[in-house]
Amino acid sequence: MFRKVQRQGPAAGRVAGVSAELYDHRDRCAIVGIGATEFSKDSGRSTLTLAVEASLEAIGDAGLVPIDIDGIVRCDMDDVRTSDLIHTLGLDNISYLGENGPGGVAPAAMVGQAVAAILSGQATAVLVYRSLNGRSGRRYGAASQASDAPRVGGNGTYDEYWLPYGLQTPGQCFALMARRHMIDFGTTPDQLGRIPIACRNRANANPAAQMHGRPMGLDDYLGARMISDPLRLFDFCLETDGANALVVTTAERARDLPRPPALIRAVAQASLPDVQPGNFYSVLMRESLTTLPAAPVGRLLFERAGLGPDDIDVAQLYDCFSITVLLQLEDYGFCAKGEGGSFVADGSIELDGSIPINTAGGHLSEGYIHGMNHIVEGVRQIRGTSTNQVPGAETCLVTSTALPPGSALILRGDG
Amino acid sequence: MSEPEAPPLLPVTDDHDTGPLFEAAARGELVVRVCACGEVSHLPTSYCRRCGSSEGTWRPVSGRATLLSWTTVTHQLHPAFPTPYTIVLVSLEEHPQVHMFGQLAGTPDLTADQPMEVWFQQLAEDVAIPQWRPAG
Repeated sequence: MFRKVQRQGPAAGRVAGVSAELYDHRDRCAIVGIGATEFSKDSGRSTLTLAVEASLEAIGDAGLVPIDIDGIVRCDMDDVRTSDLIHTLGLDNISYLGENGPGGVAPAAMVGQAVAAILSGQATAVLVYRSLNGRSGRRYGAASQASDAPRVGGNGTYDEYWLPYGLQTPGQCFALMARRHMIDFGTTPDQLGRIPIACRNRANANPAAQMHGRPMGLDDYLGARMISDPLRLFDFCLETDGANALVVTTAERARDLPRPPALIRAVAQASLPDVQPGNFYSVLMRESLTTLPAAPVGRLLFERAGLGPDDIDVAQLYDCFSITVLLQLEDYGFCAKGEGGSFVADGSIELDGSIPINTAGGHLSEGYIHGMNHIVEGVRQIRGTSTNQVPGAETCLVTSTALPPGSALILRGDG
Repeated sequence: MSEPEAPPLLPVTDDHDTGPLFEAAARGELVVRVCACGEVSHLPTSYCRRCGSSEGTWRPVSGRATLLSWTTVTHQLHPAFPTPYTIVLVSLEEHPQVHMFGQLAGTPDLTADQPMEVWFQQLAEDVAIPQWRPAG
Protein backbone atom coordinates (compact mmCIF):
# COMPACT_ATOMS: atom_id res chain seq x y z
CA MET A 1 0.00 0.00 0.00
CA PHE A 2 1.34 3.40 -0.94
CA ARG A 3 1.09 6.61 0.98
CA LYS A 4 -1.82 8.65 -0.29
CA VAL A 5 -0.83 11.73 -2.19
CA GLN A 6 -2.72 14.99 -2.34
CA ARG A 7 -3.27 15.93 -5.91
CA GLN A 8 -6.00 17.56 -7.92
CA GLY A 9 -5.65 15.15 -10.79
CA PRO A 10 -3.33 15.02 -13.76
CA ALA A 11 -4.25 18.47 -14.97
CA ALA A 12 -2.54 19.88 -11.89
CA GLY A 13 0.82 18.93 -13.36
CA ARG A 14 2.90 21.96 -14.22
CA VAL A 15 3.61 22.69 -17.82
CA ALA A 16 6.54 24.94 -18.47
CA GLY A 17 6.45 25.57 -14.74
CA VAL A 18 10.20 25.87 -14.35
CA SER A 19 10.93 29.55 -14.30
CA ALA A 20 13.41 30.88 -16.81
CA GLU A 21 15.03 32.89 -14.01
CA LEU A 22 15.75 29.71 -12.07
CA TYR A 23 17.85 28.24 -14.86
CA ASP A 24 20.33 30.81 -16.01
CA HIS A 25 21.93 29.28 -19.09
CA ARG A 26 20.95 31.77 -21.80
CA ASP A 27 23.81 32.18 -24.30
CA ARG A 28 26.32 30.85 -21.78
CA CYS A 29 27.41 27.85 -23.86
CA ALA A 30 27.97 27.30 -27.57
CA ILE A 31 28.38 24.58 -30.15
CA VAL A 32 31.90 25.09 -31.49
CA GLY A 33 32.50 21.98 -33.55
CA ILE A 34 30.41 19.81 -35.89
CA GLY A 35 31.17 16.55 -37.64
CA ALA A 36 29.39 14.37 -40.18
CA THR A 37 30.24 11.20 -42.05
CA GLU A 38 28.90 10.35 -45.46
CA PHE A 39 25.20 9.39 -45.32
CA SER A 40 24.54 6.16 -47.21
CA LYS A 41 22.51 2.97 -47.36
CA ASP A 42 25.49 0.79 -46.57
CA SER A 43 28.48 2.33 -44.85
CA GLY A 44 30.47 -0.90 -44.87
CA ARG A 45 31.85 0.20 -41.51
CA SER A 46 30.96 -0.32 -37.85
CA THR A 47 28.95 2.24 -35.94
CA LEU A 48 32.04 2.78 -33.78
CA THR A 49 34.13 3.64 -36.84
CA LEU A 50 31.44 6.08 -37.99
CA ALA A 51 31.26 7.67 -34.52
CA VAL A 52 35.05 8.04 -34.43
CA GLU A 53 35.12 9.78 -37.82
CA ALA A 54 32.33 12.22 -36.93
CA SER A 55 33.83 12.91 -33.48
CA LEU A 56 37.33 13.58 -34.78
CA GLU A 57 35.89 15.95 -37.37
CA ALA A 58 33.86 17.79 -34.70
CA ILE A 59 36.81 18.04 -32.30
CA GLY A 60 39.10 19.25 -35.08
CA ASP A 61 36.47 21.70 -36.33
CA ALA A 62 36.40 23.13 -32.81
CA GLY A 63 40.16 23.69 -32.90
CA LEU A 64 40.64 21.14 -30.11
CA VAL A 65 42.32 17.76 -29.71
CA PRO A 66 40.75 14.67 -28.14
CA ILE A 67 42.48 15.14 -24.81
CA ASP A 68 40.65 18.49 -24.44
CA ILE A 69 37.30 16.64 -24.27
CA ASP A 70 36.26 16.01 -20.66
CA GLY A 71 32.57 15.20 -21.09
CA ILE A 72 30.63 12.86 -23.36
CA VAL A 73 26.89 12.34 -23.94
CA ARG A 74 25.27 9.33 -25.63
CA CYS A 75 21.78 8.60 -27.00
CA ASP A 76 20.23 5.62 -25.24
CA MET A 77 19.62 3.81 -28.54
CA ASP A 78 23.17 4.23 -29.84
CA ASP A 79 25.04 0.99 -30.45
CA VAL A 80 28.24 2.82 -29.52
CA ARG A 81 28.81 2.93 -25.77
CA THR A 82 30.58 5.91 -24.27
CA SER A 83 33.43 3.66 -23.18
CA ASP A 84 33.89 2.46 -26.79
CA LEU A 85 34.48 6.02 -27.92
CA ILE A 86 36.50 7.07 -24.87
CA HIS A 87 38.82 4.13 -25.44
CA THR A 88 39.17 4.51 -29.18
CA LEU A 89 39.65 8.28 -29.24
CA GLY A 90 41.88 8.28 -26.17
CA LEU A 91 39.61 10.62 -24.21
CA ASP A 92 41.61 10.17 -21.04
CA ASN A 93 40.29 13.22 -19.19
CA ILE A 94 36.59 12.35 -19.04
CA SER A 95 34.89 13.61 -15.88
CA TYR A 96 31.25 13.65 -17.07
CA LEU A 97 29.19 10.96 -18.83
CA GLY A 98 25.57 11.55 -19.77
CA GLU A 99 22.80 9.76 -21.62
CA ASN A 100 19.37 10.74 -22.87
CA GLY A 101 16.45 9.38 -24.84
CA PRO A 102 14.41 7.61 -25.92
CA GLY A 103 15.95 7.70 -29.36
CA GLY A 104 14.99 10.72 -31.41
CA VAL A 105 13.95 12.68 -28.36
CA ALA A 106 17.60 12.77 -27.34
CA PRO A 107 19.67 15.18 -29.47
CA ALA A 108 18.61 18.57 -28.08
CA ALA A 109 18.34 17.04 -24.62
CA MET A 110 21.88 15.67 -25.02
CA VAL A 111 23.12 19.18 -25.75
CA GLY A 112 21.13 20.27 -22.71
CA GLN A 113 23.02 17.76 -20.61
CA ALA A 114 26.30 19.06 -21.99
CA VAL A 115 25.28 22.60 -21.03
CA ALA A 116 24.27 21.48 -17.54
CA ALA A 117 27.54 19.62 -17.08
CA ILE A 118 29.54 22.67 -18.13
CA LEU A 119 27.58 25.19 -16.07
CA SER A 120 27.78 22.99 -13.00
CA GLY A 121 31.53 22.67 -13.33
CA GLN A 122 31.58 18.96 -14.14
CA ALA A 123 33.13 19.41 -17.59
CA THR A 124 34.50 22.13 -19.85
CA ALA A 125 34.26 20.63 -23.36
CA VAL A 126 31.63 17.99 -24.08
CA LEU A 127 31.37 15.63 -27.05
CA VAL A 128 27.84 14.74 -28.17
CA TYR A 129 27.51 11.96 -30.76
CA ARG A 130 25.02 9.78 -32.65
CA SER A 131 25.97 6.90 -34.89
CA LEU A 132 23.88 4.28 -36.61
CA ASN A 133 23.81 1.82 -39.46
CA GLY A 134 20.12 2.54 -39.83
CA ARG A 135 19.77 0.85 -43.22
CA SER A 136 22.39 -1.90 -43.37
CA GLY A 137 22.13 -2.72 -39.66
CA ARG A 138 19.30 -2.17 -37.19
CA ARG A 139 16.25 -0.80 -39.07
CA TYR A 140 13.79 1.12 -36.93
CA GLY A 141 10.94 0.68 -39.42
CA ALA A 142 11.03 -3.11 -39.16
CA ALA A 143 8.13 -4.91 -37.51
CA SER A 144 8.39 -4.81 -33.76
CA GLN A 145 8.44 -8.52 -33.09
CA ALA A 146 9.83 -11.49 -34.97
CA SER A 147 7.21 -14.03 -36.02
CA ASP A 148 8.60 -16.86 -33.92
CA ALA A 149 8.80 -14.75 -30.79
CA PRO A 150 7.15 -15.82 -27.55
CA ARG A 151 4.21 -13.77 -26.33
CA VAL A 152 4.42 -10.01 -26.68
CA GLY A 153 4.02 -7.38 -24.01
CA GLY A 154 3.90 -7.33 -20.26
CA ASN A 155 6.43 -6.02 -17.81
CA GLY A 156 5.49 -2.39 -18.30
CA THR A 157 5.77 -2.34 -22.09
CA TYR A 158 1.99 -2.47 -22.66
CA ASP A 159 2.88 -3.97 -26.06
CA GLU A 160 0.03 -6.43 -25.49
CA TYR A 161 -2.33 -3.53 -26.24
CA TRP A 162 -1.14 -2.96 -29.82
CA LEU A 163 1.28 -5.50 -31.27
CA PRO A 164 -1.35 -8.31 -31.52
CA TYR A 165 -3.46 -5.97 -33.68
CA GLY A 166 -0.74 -5.49 -36.27
CA LEU A 167 0.20 -2.02 -35.05
CA GLN A 168 3.87 -2.67 -35.53
CA THR A 169 5.70 0.40 -36.78
CA PRO A 170 6.03 4.12 -36.03
CA GLY A 171 4.69 4.91 -39.50
CA GLN A 172 1.39 3.20 -38.73
CA CYS A 173 1.18 5.16 -35.49
CA PHE A 174 1.72 8.50 -37.22
CA ALA A 175 -0.74 7.48 -39.95
CA LEU A 176 -3.45 7.30 -37.28
CA MET A 177 -2.52 10.83 -36.15
CA ALA A 178 -2.52 12.10 -39.74
CA ARG A 179 -5.97 10.61 -40.37
CA ARG A 180 -7.40 12.34 -37.30
CA HIS A 181 -5.82 15.65 -38.35
CA MET A 182 -7.54 15.27 -41.72
CA ILE A 183 -10.85 14.45 -40.00
CA ASP A 184 -10.72 17.34 -37.55
CA PHE A 185 -9.20 20.04 -39.72
CA GLY A 186 -9.72 19.03 -43.35
CA THR A 187 -6.01 18.64 -44.01
CA THR A 188 -5.43 17.16 -47.47
CA PRO A 189 -2.77 14.89 -48.99
CA ASP A 190 -1.79 17.75 -51.33
CA GLN A 191 -1.06 19.92 -48.30
CA LEU A 192 0.82 17.22 -46.43
CA GLY A 193 2.93 16.60 -49.53
CA ARG A 194 4.32 20.11 -49.43
CA ILE A 195 6.50 19.07 -46.48
CA PRO A 196 8.44 16.22 -48.14
CA ILE A 197 8.63 18.29 -51.33
CA ALA A 198 10.18 21.24 -49.45
CA CYS A 199 12.68 18.89 -47.82
CA ARG A 200 13.48 17.33 -51.19
CA ASN A 201 14.02 20.74 -52.75
CA ARG A 202 16.53 21.56 -50.01
CA ALA A 203 18.27 18.19 -50.48
CA ASN A 204 18.69 18.90 -54.17
CA ALA A 205 20.89 21.86 -53.27
CA ASN A 206 22.84 19.83 -50.71
CA PRO A 207 25.32 17.44 -52.38
CA ALA A 208 25.73 15.52 -49.11
CA ALA A 209 22.03 14.63 -48.92
CA GLN A 210 21.02 11.06 -49.70
CA MET A 211 18.26 12.25 -52.04
CA HIS A 212 20.42 14.82 -53.83
CA GLY A 213 19.81 14.72 -57.56
CA ARG A 214 16.33 13.23 -57.25
CA PRO A 215 13.83 16.05 -57.80
CA MET A 216 10.26 15.40 -56.64
CA GLY A 217 7.05 17.19 -57.47
CA LEU A 218 3.49 16.82 -56.22
CA ASP A 219 2.64 14.19 -58.86
CA ASP A 220 5.64 12.11 -57.79
CA TYR A 221 4.57 12.42 -54.17
CA LEU A 222 0.91 11.53 -54.78
CA GLY A 223 1.79 8.79 -57.23
CA ALA A 224 4.12 6.96 -54.86
CA ARG A 225 2.79 3.82 -53.24
CA MET A 226 0.72 3.98 -50.12
CA ILE A 227 2.43 2.45 -47.08
CA SER A 228 -0.13 2.96 -44.32
CA ASP A 229 -2.83 5.33 -45.50
CA PRO A 230 -2.99 8.30 -45.54
CA LEU A 231 0.83 8.14 -45.45
CA ARG A 232 2.66 7.41 -48.70
CA LEU A 233 6.26 6.40 -49.34
CA PHE A 234 7.66 9.92 -49.23
CA ASP A 235 5.86 10.79 -45.99
CA PHE A 236 8.36 8.41 -44.40
CA CYS A 237 11.91 9.41 -43.49
CA LEU A 238 14.99 7.78 -44.92
CA GLU A 239 17.00 4.99 -43.37
CA THR A 240 20.63 5.98 -43.10
CA ASP A 241 24.05 4.68 -42.22
CA GLY A 242 26.03 7.57 -40.77
CA ALA A 243 27.09 9.58 -37.77
CA ASN A 244 27.15 13.13 -36.46
CA ALA A 245 28.99 14.72 -33.56
CA LEU A 246 29.10 18.08 -31.78
CA VAL A 247 31.41 19.80 -29.31
CA VAL A 248 29.90 22.08 -26.67
CA THR A 249 31.87 24.49 -24.48
CA THR A 250 31.43 27.84 -22.74
CA ALA A 251 30.57 30.91 -24.79
CA GLU A 252 33.65 32.61 -23.34
CA ARG A 253 35.99 29.89 -24.54
CA ALA A 254 34.11 29.64 -27.83
CA ARG A 255 35.19 33.17 -28.72
CA ASP A 256 38.83 32.04 -28.70
CA LEU A 257 38.20 29.10 -31.04
CA PRO A 258 38.41 29.17 -34.84
CA ARG A 259 34.73 28.94 -35.84
CA PRO A 260 32.03 31.51 -35.17
CA PRO A 261 30.19 30.19 -32.09
CA ALA A 262 26.61 28.97 -32.36
CA LEU A 263 25.40 30.18 -28.98
CA ILE A 264 22.87 27.97 -27.24
CA ARG A 265 20.25 30.58 -26.50
CA ALA A 266 18.13 28.08 -24.59
CA VAL A 267 17.44 24.39 -24.38
CA ALA A 268 14.47 22.57 -22.88
CA GLN A 269 13.00 19.17 -22.42
CA ALA A 270 9.56 18.44 -21.08
CA SER A 271 7.03 15.72 -20.63
CA LEU A 272 3.33 16.51 -20.66
CA PRO A 273 0.19 15.72 -18.67
CA ASP A 274 -1.40 12.38 -19.45
CA VAL A 275 1.86 11.19 -20.97
CA GLN A 276 0.90 7.48 -20.60
CA PRO A 277 3.16 4.59 -19.64
CA GLY A 278 4.47 1.98 -22.05
CA ASN A 279 6.32 1.85 -25.34
CA PHE A 280 5.92 4.41 -28.13
CA TYR A 281 2.39 3.54 -29.32
CA SER A 282 0.88 4.61 -26.00
CA VAL A 283 1.03 8.13 -27.46
CA LEU A 284 -2.27 7.18 -29.12
CA MET A 285 -3.83 6.50 -25.71
CA ARG A 286 -3.65 10.24 -24.96
CA GLU A 287 -6.82 12.25 -25.32
CA SER A 288 -5.51 14.32 -28.24
CA LEU A 289 -4.15 12.56 -31.31
CA THR A 290 -3.09 15.81 -32.95
CA THR A 291 -0.70 17.36 -30.44
CA LEU A 292 2.81 16.27 -29.59
CA PRO A 293 4.95 17.07 -26.55
CA ALA A 294 6.26 19.85 -28.74
CA ALA A 295 3.58 22.04 -27.15
CA PRO A 296 4.97 22.03 -23.57
CA VAL A 297 8.57 21.88 -24.82
CA GLY A 298 7.92 24.94 -26.96
CA ARG A 299 6.36 26.92 -24.12
CA LEU A 300 9.29 26.19 -21.81
CA LEU A 301 11.90 26.75 -24.50
CA PHE A 302 10.53 30.11 -25.61
CA GLU A 303 10.16 31.22 -21.99
CA ARG A 304 13.76 30.29 -21.23
CA ALA A 305 14.98 31.96 -24.43
CA GLY A 306 12.95 35.13 -23.95
CA LEU A 307 11.90 34.66 -27.57
CA GLY A 308 8.80 33.59 -29.48
CA PRO A 309 8.03 31.91 -32.79
CA ASP A 310 8.22 35.25 -34.60
CA ASP A 311 11.85 35.62 -33.52
CA ILE A 312 12.92 32.38 -35.23
CA ASP A 313 14.59 32.84 -38.63
CA VAL A 314 14.94 29.18 -39.63
CA ALA A 315 13.94 25.85 -38.09
CA GLN A 316 15.15 22.28 -38.25
CA LEU A 317 12.04 20.30 -37.28
CA TYR A 318 12.28 16.63 -36.41
CA ASP A 319 10.73 14.88 -39.40
CA CYS A 320 10.49 11.15 -38.91
CA PHE A 321 7.27 11.63 -40.93
CA SER A 322 5.70 14.53 -42.81
CA ILE A 323 2.83 14.73 -40.33
CA THR A 324 5.32 15.16 -37.48
CA VAL A 325 6.41 18.45 -39.02
CA LEU A 326 2.83 19.62 -39.54
CA LEU A 327 1.95 18.98 -35.89
CA GLN A 328 5.09 20.76 -34.67
CA LEU A 329 4.45 23.85 -36.80
CA GLU A 330 1.18 24.14 -34.87
CA ASP A 331 2.52 23.13 -31.46
CA TYR A 332 5.45 25.59 -31.62
CA GLY A 333 3.07 28.36 -32.56
CA PHE A 334 4.16 29.09 -36.14
CA CYS A 335 0.48 28.72 -37.02
CA ALA A 336 -2.73 27.95 -35.15
CA LYS A 337 -3.78 24.38 -34.32
CA GLY A 338 -5.49 22.92 -37.35
CA GLU A 339 -4.02 25.43 -39.79
CA GLY A 340 -0.83 23.51 -40.54
CA GLY A 341 -2.14 22.27 -43.88
CA SER A 342 -2.90 25.66 -45.36
CA PHE A 343 0.23 27.09 -43.72
CA VAL A 344 2.56 24.74 -45.59
CA ALA A 345 0.51 24.99 -48.79
CA ASP A 346 1.08 28.76 -48.75
CA GLY A 347 4.82 28.21 -49.07
CA SER A 348 5.62 29.27 -45.52
CA ILE A 349 8.24 26.55 -45.03
CA GLU A 350 10.11 27.25 -48.27
CA LEU A 351 13.41 29.15 -48.28
CA ASP A 352 11.65 32.47 -48.92
CA GLY A 353 8.76 31.69 -46.59
CA SER A 354 8.12 32.91 -43.06
CA ILE A 355 9.82 29.89 -41.48
CA PRO A 356 12.14 27.92 -43.78
CA ILE A 357 12.62 24.39 -42.46
CA ASN A 358 15.03 21.49 -42.72
CA THR A 359 17.49 23.33 -44.89
CA ALA A 360 19.80 20.34 -45.43
CA GLY A 361 16.83 18.17 -46.46
CA GLY A 362 15.90 16.81 -43.04
CA HIS A 363 15.19 13.21 -42.23
CA LEU A 364 12.88 13.07 -45.22
CA SER A 365 15.63 13.79 -47.75
CA GLU A 366 19.08 14.49 -46.20
CA GLY A 367 19.46 11.47 -43.95
CA TYR A 368 18.22 10.00 -40.71
CA ILE A 369 20.70 10.44 -37.88
CA HIS A 370 17.86 10.40 -35.39
CA GLY A 371 17.66 14.17 -34.94
CA MET A 372 21.38 14.88 -34.66
CA ASN A 373 21.83 16.03 -38.27
CA HIS A 374 19.23 18.72 -37.53
CA ILE A 375 21.50 20.26 -34.89
CA VAL A 376 24.51 20.12 -37.23
CA GLU A 377 22.50 21.94 -39.91
CA GLY A 378 21.33 24.46 -37.31
CA VAL A 379 24.95 25.29 -36.55
CA ARG A 380 25.67 25.69 -40.27
CA GLN A 381 22.82 28.20 -40.55
CA ILE A 382 24.24 30.24 -37.68
CA ARG A 383 27.73 30.11 -39.23
CA GLY A 384 26.31 31.07 -42.64
CA THR A 385 27.63 27.91 -44.30
CA SER A 386 24.45 26.00 -45.19
CA THR A 387 23.98 24.90 -48.79
CA ASN A 388 20.52 26.49 -48.41
CA GLN A 389 21.60 29.49 -46.37
CA VAL A 390 18.77 31.68 -45.12
CA PRO A 391 20.13 35.20 -45.64
CA GLY A 392 20.89 36.92 -42.36
CA ALA A 393 19.72 34.00 -40.20
CA GLU A 394 20.44 34.89 -36.58
CA THR A 395 18.27 32.34 -34.77
CA CYS A 396 17.55 28.70 -35.47
CA LEU A 397 15.08 26.42 -33.70
CA VAL A 398 16.05 22.75 -33.62
CA THR A 399 13.61 20.15 -32.36
CA SER A 400 14.09 16.56 -31.27
CA THR A 401 10.49 16.03 -30.47
CA ALA A 402 8.52 13.22 -31.96
CA LEU A 403 6.93 11.45 -29.03
CA PRO A 404 6.86 12.09 -25.29
CA PRO A 405 8.98 13.37 -23.70
CA GLY A 406 10.50 15.92 -26.04
CA SER A 407 13.38 18.34 -26.36
CA ALA A 408 14.42 21.34 -28.42
CA LEU A 409 16.94 24.16 -28.49
CA ILE A 410 17.46 27.56 -30.02
CA LEU A 411 20.82 28.54 -31.52
CA ARG A 412 21.84 32.11 -32.27
CA GLY A 413 24.79 33.95 -33.65
CA ASP A 414 27.22 35.86 -31.46
CA GLY A 415 26.29 39.20 -33.00
CA MET B 1 -5.71 -10.70 -48.97
CA SER B 2 -3.60 -13.78 -48.43
CA GLU B 3 -3.44 -16.17 -45.51
CA PRO B 4 -1.06 -15.37 -42.64
CA GLU B 5 2.34 -17.00 -43.00
CA ALA B 6 2.90 -17.09 -39.27
CA PRO B 7 0.82 -17.88 -36.20
CA PRO B 8 -0.95 -14.98 -34.50
CA LEU B 9 1.05 -12.74 -32.22
CA LEU B 10 -0.13 -13.71 -28.76
CA PRO B 11 -0.18 -11.15 -25.95
CA VAL B 12 1.14 -11.78 -22.48
CA THR B 13 -2.07 -12.38 -20.55
CA ASP B 14 -0.83 -12.65 -16.96
CA ASP B 15 0.89 -9.32 -16.42
CA HIS B 16 0.24 -7.86 -12.96
CA ASP B 17 -1.18 -4.61 -14.33
CA THR B 18 -2.96 -5.77 -17.51
CA GLY B 19 -3.81 -9.46 -17.05
CA PRO B 20 -7.44 -8.91 -15.99
CA LEU B 21 -8.26 -7.39 -19.41
CA PHE B 22 -7.38 -10.71 -21.05
CA GLU B 23 -9.01 -12.83 -18.32
CA ALA B 24 -12.23 -10.92 -19.01
CA ALA B 25 -11.83 -11.20 -22.78
CA ALA B 26 -11.54 -14.98 -22.42
CA ARG B 27 -15.03 -15.02 -20.85
CA GLY B 28 -16.40 -12.57 -23.43
CA GLU B 29 -16.40 -9.44 -21.32
CA LEU B 30 -14.80 -6.03 -21.81
CA VAL B 31 -13.50 -4.45 -18.61
CA VAL B 32 -11.61 -1.31 -17.60
CA ARG B 33 -9.75 -0.63 -14.37
CA VAL B 34 -11.56 1.84 -12.10
CA CYS B 35 -10.24 3.17 -8.80
CA ALA B 36 -12.41 3.59 -5.69
CA CYS B 37 -12.05 7.35 -6.27
CA GLY B 38 -13.68 6.97 -9.70
CA GLU B 39 -10.54 7.47 -11.79
CA VAL B 40 -10.48 5.21 -14.85
CA SER B 41 -6.95 3.93 -15.30
CA HIS B 42 -6.03 3.28 -18.94
CA LEU B 43 -3.46 2.25 -19.81
CA PRO B 44 -3.98 0.51 -16.49
CA THR B 45 -1.63 0.96 -13.56
CA SER B 46 -2.18 -0.62 -10.15
CA TYR B 47 -1.36 2.64 -8.38
CA CYS B 48 -3.98 5.35 -8.93
CA ARG B 49 -2.27 8.54 -10.06
CA ARG B 50 -5.21 10.59 -8.86
CA CYS B 51 -5.65 9.44 -5.24
CA GLY B 52 -2.73 7.12 -4.53
CA SER B 53 -4.83 4.05 -3.82
CA SER B 54 -3.99 0.62 -5.15
CA GLU B 55 -7.48 -0.70 -4.49
CA GLY B 56 -8.88 -0.47 -8.01
CA THR B 57 -11.26 -2.98 -9.53
CA TRP B 58 -11.98 -4.08 -13.09
CA ARG B 59 -15.52 -3.24 -14.17
CA PRO B 60 -17.50 -4.31 -17.23
CA VAL B 61 -18.38 -1.71 -19.85
CA SER B 62 -20.91 -1.88 -22.67
CA GLY B 63 -18.52 -2.59 -25.51
CA ARG B 64 -19.85 0.35 -27.50
CA ALA B 65 -17.38 2.88 -28.88
CA THR B 66 -16.80 5.41 -31.63
CA LEU B 67 -14.14 5.33 -34.34
CA LEU B 68 -11.36 7.86 -33.72
CA SER B 69 -8.99 6.96 -36.52
CA TRP B 70 -7.86 4.16 -38.80
CA THR B 71 -5.10 3.24 -41.22
CA THR B 72 -5.04 0.59 -43.91
CA VAL B 73 -1.63 -1.04 -43.96
CA THR B 74 -0.49 -1.92 -47.48
CA HIS B 75 3.23 -2.38 -46.91
CA GLN B 76 3.86 -5.96 -45.83
CA LEU B 77 6.07 -6.31 -42.74
CA HIS B 78 5.04 -8.97 -40.24
CA PRO B 79 4.16 -12.45 -41.58
CA ALA B 80 1.33 -12.79 -39.06
CA PHE B 81 -0.39 -9.78 -40.64
CA PRO B 82 -0.84 -10.13 -44.42
CA THR B 83 -1.71 -6.85 -46.12
CA PRO B 84 -4.00 -5.16 -46.66
CA TYR B 85 -5.44 -4.90 -43.19
CA THR B 86 -6.86 -1.97 -41.27
CA ILE B 87 -5.95 -0.86 -37.76
CA VAL B 88 -8.77 0.96 -35.96
CA LEU B 89 -8.53 3.18 -32.89
CA VAL B 90 -11.73 3.58 -30.89
CA SER B 91 -12.95 5.64 -27.94
CA LEU B 92 -15.24 3.90 -25.42
CA GLU B 93 -18.77 5.23 -25.07
CA GLU B 94 -18.76 5.39 -21.24
CA HIS B 95 -15.17 6.55 -20.91
CA PRO B 96 -14.15 8.47 -24.06
CA GLN B 97 -10.63 8.93 -22.72
CA VAL B 98 -10.14 5.16 -22.96
CA HIS B 99 -8.73 4.35 -26.40
CA MET B 100 -8.34 0.80 -27.73
CA PHE B 101 -7.02 -0.73 -30.94
CA GLY B 102 -8.62 -3.30 -33.18
CA GLN B 103 -8.01 -4.83 -36.58
CA LEU B 104 -10.32 -5.27 -39.56
CA ALA B 105 -9.55 -7.36 -42.62
CA GLY B 106 -8.88 -5.67 -45.94
CA THR B 107 -9.93 -2.14 -46.79
CA PRO B 108 -13.30 -1.55 -45.14
CA ASP B 109 -15.41 1.51 -45.79
CA LEU B 110 -15.18 3.57 -42.60
CA THR B 111 -16.40 6.98 -41.45
CA ALA B 112 -14.99 9.17 -38.71
CA ASP B 113 -16.75 8.84 -35.36
CA GLN B 114 -19.01 6.00 -36.54
CA PRO B 115 -20.34 3.58 -33.86
CA MET B 116 -18.20 0.53 -33.21
CA GLU B 117 -18.82 -2.60 -31.15
CA VAL B 118 -16.55 -5.02 -29.38
CA TRP B 119 -16.18 -8.72 -30.19
CA PHE B 120 -13.70 -11.21 -28.86
CA GLN B 121 -11.19 -12.96 -31.05
CA GLN B 122 -9.89 -16.30 -29.84
CA LEU B 123 -6.22 -16.26 -30.88
CA ALA B 124 -5.34 -19.52 -29.15
CA GLU B 125 -7.04 -21.99 -26.86
CA ASP B 126 -6.28 -19.86 -23.80
CA VAL B 127 -5.94 -16.42 -25.39
CA ALA B 128 -8.69 -14.01 -26.45
CA ILE B 129 -8.41 -10.30 -27.23
CA PRO B 130 -11.02 -7.58 -27.58
CA GLN B 131 -11.60 -6.61 -31.21
CA TRP B 132 -13.69 -3.84 -32.76
CA ARG B 133 -15.99 -3.74 -35.79
CA PRO B 134 -18.61 -1.34 -37.13
CA ALA B 135 -21.76 -1.64 -34.99
CA GLY B 136 -24.33 -3.76 -36.76
